[in-house]
Amino acid sequence: MRYLRHLGLDVLAVLLCLVAAPAFAQEEAPGMIHNVTVRPAPTGVTPRTADGHPDFTGVWNGMADNLLGVPNQMHNEGIAVESDHSTYDVLTGAKIATWPLAKPKRQNGEQSERAATLLRRMGASRPIYKPEYWDMVKQFDANANEEDPSNNCMPAGVPRVGSPSYIGQFPNYLIFVYPGQGGLIATQTMYRMIPLDGRKHTPLQDLDGSYTGEGIAHWDGDTLVVDTWGFNTATWFDQLGGYFHSENMHVVERFQRNGNTLTWTATIDDPDVLLEPWTTTPRIQLLNANPKAMLPESLPCSERDLAHAVTKEHH
Amino acid sequence: MSTKAKLMKVLTSAAIAIVAFQCAGAQSAQTKTAANMSEVAKAVKAAADALGMPRTGGPGGALLPEIDVINRMEILGSGTSSVSGQTVKTEYHAALGYNPPAMRLEITRTNAGGTPQHTIQTVRDKYAWDESMMGAGLVPGKGTATPQMTAVKQRLLQIWILPYGVLKAAFAAGDKATVSVEDGTTVLSVPLSGELAGVTLKATLDSKNFITKVVAQTGGGMDIEADYSDYADHGEILTDIKSPGHMVEKQGGSTVLDIQIKNWDANNPYLVFPIPQNVKMATQQSSKVAEK
Repeated sequence: MRYLRHLGLDVLAVLLCLVAAPAFAQEEAPGMIHNVTVRPAPTGVTPRTADGHPDFTGVWNGMADNLLGVPNQMHNEGIAVESDHSTYDVLTGAKIATWPLAKPKRQNGEQSERAATLLRRMGASRPIYKPEYWDMVKQFDANANEEDPSNNCMPAGVPRVGSPSYIGQFPNYLIFVYPGQGGLIATQTMYRMIPLDGRKHTPLQDLDGSYTGEGIAHWDGDTLVVDTWGFNTATWFDQLGGYFHSENMHVVERFQRNGNTLTWTATIDDPDVLLEPWTTTPRIQLLNANPKAMLPESLPCSERDLAHAVTKEHH
Repeated sequence: MSTKAKLMKVLTSAAIAIVAFQCAGAQSAQTKTAANMSEVAKAVKAAADALGMPRTGGPGGALLPEIDVINRMEILGSGTSSVSGQTVKTEYHAALGYNPPAMRLEITRTNAGGTPQHTIQTVRDKYAWDESMMGAGLVPGKGTATPQMTAVKQRLLQIWILPYGVLKAAFAAGDKATVSVEDGTTVLSVPLSGELAGVTLKATLDSKNFITKVVAQTGGGMDIEADYSDYADHGEILTDIKSPGHMVEKQGGSTVLDIQIKNWDANNPYLVFPIPQNVKMATQQSSKVAEK
């Protein structure tokens, strides 16, 4: 529904442009017909708790959410569209050819999905698997409509779920909430309760693997670090790409607050399948400025698209 | 009409006026952009459009500018190649990327006696090496990576003479790229940079703006020519990217490679090109010797 609402506004804007252009053609107002995927700049001060640490409590939203469409997914995969004329790859800094839209481009569903497949995957940042797994990863991604373990409303797991939409910070523990979504990309709601009391990990061999693993938090200066192991193998570790992992995956998430922004990265180490640890492109979220902000109720997760997928094109 | 209704009407009218004003300004800016676009930029855009490179959209992305979406590609084909003057049956498998520039070219040649010869030639940035098996030299005990420093330019050129490479290079070259009309057809001239500085690509466009011929003028007297035809979406996963169905490469006027494409996956598949440690070290030592 969100997309339909956006589409409706887009169509209205296009119609208004066509009608109004001759009357106002002398003036320039750059920036109307473009969108960007660059990180938001922080504003305001960073609040601190009584013990002096940055306070992460709040409702966070913005461009770290993988579910809010192609611009967010491009941002998360390291493609920064900074204007109508400029795009670059965050990892390598390489400039990417960019052309302003001559007019809003009308695409049918098929064209839109095919474009999205390309836009989501063009970033240079890739985990480096051991060579014997290269073809497997490629095939998982190509056949994601059948192979993706998060299909049919299964949990995305950590770290694929990304950065939480709500953080509750208490002296000895944290609460993370990841609301699920119905509709176009169905996902299950997840939560985590993470101790921040100096405890050590349970030995890996004593843990039953789970979707969120055993996460334990500590402070590294002003950075909140969540160290997690003890996973099952029923998840992929990024939204795109077919990135499977073993039960020995070790994830270190780092949270930094700067004013009204939250920066999240996850470093994935899995010596069973990866040649080297891989760190995600930093994802930036904005604090919901409304002090009365609440998380909406999650829609029931009901997978409706997969049964109708007849090709390998992605959804 | 109630006061509330009147207020809503005024607010709606104001909102429409603001949006219309902004739209008009944007249209004006776009018109100027199009007018200011150089002839070479227009030719590059037209050729990129023909290939399906500039793309926008997807859910939530309807207002993004058009972006060159090509990065990684995988090509499978078969045909013939020329070795020491003999034409042999050839299986061709190329994995390539533009960011960073890299290519792994796996070729199996079967001579008249039926003996297959298999090679894997890889390049990334300023490093080139041969692999005894896919990903050789990355995991101890699994294959051998043999540095081939002198092959860097020749291997990198294989990426840039592809139609997508020509257009990426033209976009990067900006004002240094030129366009002309030769015998009624459009020809782009593009100087390369970095490791390939000194090489100029001349690309011929057909009436549909597809690149049909690329000549790499290397300055060494041995120009490389690549001919492309039968453009279509040859991917297993359709992307609306058009790729050649037939490519022929010539050196010094003689055909060295003639390949019919079976599959050209342009969907940015998982392709990686990590550099083996021994290749890095050999290249660094070679550079130090050269500096001395």
